[in-house]
Amino acid sequence: MLSSFRLSMTWVHTWFGLVLGYVLMVCFFFGALSVFDREIDRWAIPETRYEPQPMPSFDSMLLPIFRSIEPEPRSYDYAQGEVQGPLPPRESLAMSDVGAYTTHRDPVLDMYVSFDVPNKPKDANLDHVHAFGYATIDPRSGTVISNDKLKIGSEFFYPLHYSLHLYWKNLGYWLVGMAALTMLAALVTGVVMHRKLLRELFTFRPRKQMRSVLDLHNLTGVAALPFHFFFAFTGLVIFAGIYFPVTSSMFKPQAEAHEKVEELRTGLPHDPAHIAAPLASVDAMVAEAQRRWGERGMPGEVGFLGITHLGDANGYVSVYRAGTDRVTLTGQGIHFRASTGEVIREDPQPSSVAGINDWLTGLHLQHFRHWLLRWLYVLGGLAGCACIATGFVFFVEKRKRQHAKAGASGARWADAMGVTAVTGMLVATGTILVANQLLPGDLPRRGDWEERIFWLAWLLALVHAFWRSAPVAEARLSPAWREQSWVIALLCTAAPVLNWLTTGDHLLKTIAARYWPVAGFDLALLVVATVAVYAARRLGRAERVLVETAGGRGRGSLEAAHA
Amino acid sequence: MPDSLLLGLALLSALCAMGWLALGMNVHWQQVYGNVASSTRTVRIVRVLGACALVVSMLLCLSSDHASIASLVWVMALAAAVFLVAFLLSWRPRWLAWLVPWVRT
Amino acid sequence: MLQQIAMGVTNHRQRLSLGSRVLAGLLGSYVFTWGCVALVVALGLVQGMDYDEMLTLAYLLAFLVYLCAFLWAFAAASLLRVWLVLAGGGVAMSGAARWLTSMLA
Repeated sequence: MLSSFRLSMTWVHTWFGLVLGYVLMVCFFFGALSVFDREIDRWAIPETRYEPQPMPSFDSMLLPIFRSIEPEPRSYDYAQGEVQGPLPPRESLAMSDVGAYTTHRDPVLDMYVSFDVPNKPKDANLDHVHAFGYATIDPRSGTVISNDKLKIGSEFFYPLHYSLHLYWKNLGYWLVGMAALTMLAALVTGVVMHRKLLRELFTFRPRKQMRSVLDLHNLTGVAALPFHFFFAFTGLVIFAGIYFPVTSSMFKPQAEAHEKVEELRTGLPHDPAHIAAPLASVDAMVAEAQRRWGERGMPGEVGFLGITHLGDANGYVSVYRAGTDRVTLTGQGIHFRASTGEVIREDPQPSSVAGINDWLTGLHLQHFRHWLLRWLYVLGGLAGCACIATGFVFFVEKRKRQHAKAGASGARWADAMGVTAVTGMLVATGTILVANQLLPGDLPRRGDWEERIFWLAWLLALVHAFWRSAPVAEARLSPAWREQSWVIALLCTAAPVLNWLTTGDHLLKTIAARYWPVAGFDLALLVVATVAVYAARRLGRAERVLVETAGGRGRGSLEAAHA
Repeated sequence: MPDSLLLGLALLSALCAMGWLALGMNVHWQQVYGNVASSTRTVRIVRVLGACALVVSMLLCLSSDHASIASLVWVMALAAAVFLVAFLLSWRPRWLAWLVPWVRT
Repeated sequence: MLQQIAMGVTNHRQRLSLGSRVLAGLLGSYVFTWGCVALVVALGLVQGMDYDEMLTLAYLLAFLVYLCAFLWAFAAASLLRVWLVLAGGGVAMSGAARWLTSMLA
């Protein structure tokens, strides 16, 4: 495109990095938080602050609870929109499939039910439409935890990082996909641009303004390069079905034919027989599954338990092992006939292609038990955030002098967007945590309120960032960075204090009890608050220095230091 | 040996590896020792030490976990080590002198 | 060049050219990658391989293909060639895939 390969790659790195960087920041930051999503859930829902539990008895505890689950009103309304004619009453829809899911980090058990909608779908491509219901329970007692209580980690931060909570036409997934592709491109183009990659691997020159920013950008990008590449790549592979939906378009007949072949090969019926059948003891099936895993040399706990075509003669029970000791996801599934309990099939070892896919997706989804690796993942994620943030800062610093002289305002808007994407994002995060502590415990649709407050806080941060950005048009620092840093410090100090006041779980208590989900998160918040105070003070000093030197005719302290 | 000790040693090994490899580069050697260049012999020694420490680190990871996890732990440990060495070079370069105790200033 | 646009010093033709380049990079690569995915699956099906297997393999390769196509769209000198190869090639591969699967049915 431009006069040389390197120049073209630099152009791609700069402009795609800038524009998609704002989205990528969200993916990396909330992705990093998602490593400890279950722990954040414990912090957000105090009644779940106990030790992780194994899957409880299906027959005595789970089955009655499944029968009591009703379709979620929103899911029911959505299903109504997808079919012709009026739906039967919400409580009368029949259960078709159920599932229960837990990991080694979950004190609670997640249960879902899919309900059959008898009406004909509007879209001719669909066979039928389902409505869904959910419940979260305490497996020790079977107590249901209200769905109004938002699991801020696993139900908010985690989906935010891959969907931006923008589900209309999967728009969020597409934006994240483009951002992930940009990450891959930015890594490759970055390597092309950075001629002395290995020689400057350890180079970090602090106290040199633009040079330091660029050094930090390179360091955080190169040191964790395999991490950044693999996470962006595996993220794309995980949602490949959304990005290249060949199965529902070009290969629909072949895929359907394949399903029929699979049905015969595995013995797992695709459709119900519409003949009622009883349900044999699922607990006995679980025990048999655990016995078989033990025999194969991989004893383990149940990670996922599902029943397909519940109550039907074609019904089958699937028991999957929780893969806590290896990277690959829940596997070694064993399937039983629901009415009799006999084993239909033991999932064989995956093929080499499927094995590679399982390893790659397992690497990203991290169901394994390994605290060091999880913390190293957080380090990688934060390094990615630092890489993107320093990229924004470098972009603005490099151009703001030119733009100020020419009277252009590009650098100013880029800087304001940078504040929004970096400190603004942290402000919103701190706000939802504080709101979580302050909102009344029994507020209906409490989770919806928390989410609204999050987005409102981010919007306010954006408005503030743009409002305060004028100094950048004069080649100075925007005070928004410092002001928002103070807000972050305040919020991240308030959150643990409020946790103490509202739940009584202060740091001395949680550390003494070694309850790390809450202790760890409180400590992390305090560390963030400390860093925010330090940053705010440094920024204050930098602003004052610039004001002093801006008057003189000499070069300001943020002068260009070209590579 | 408990896993946490093995992993701790793996991290330490990775850190030493990166420290040695950094010391093998003239610009970083000078950050530690001022404008005194290192001898070719020292450069060779630290590079060999660095390579060995990388291997030791990987073996320690493998002895603690299944290979599919150990490989990830190792790669991430190296990343953490690079960060730490870079920051040590900027703020406490003299600490890296401990890695080459036979060198007299 | 985006910088020039920001400062208002480009002409209409330059803007169109840049826009076309970006579109080629994003959309052209998408069409090309779709074609690759379709062709890999179709070739596999013709060989009697399992549909899920081939789809998984195609998906594993897809984003590496996309990345290369994307970067090439910006590295190549001739924009016309980029469109012909990416969009044209993608459509050709999709067509080939369709033809192959029609032979199976």
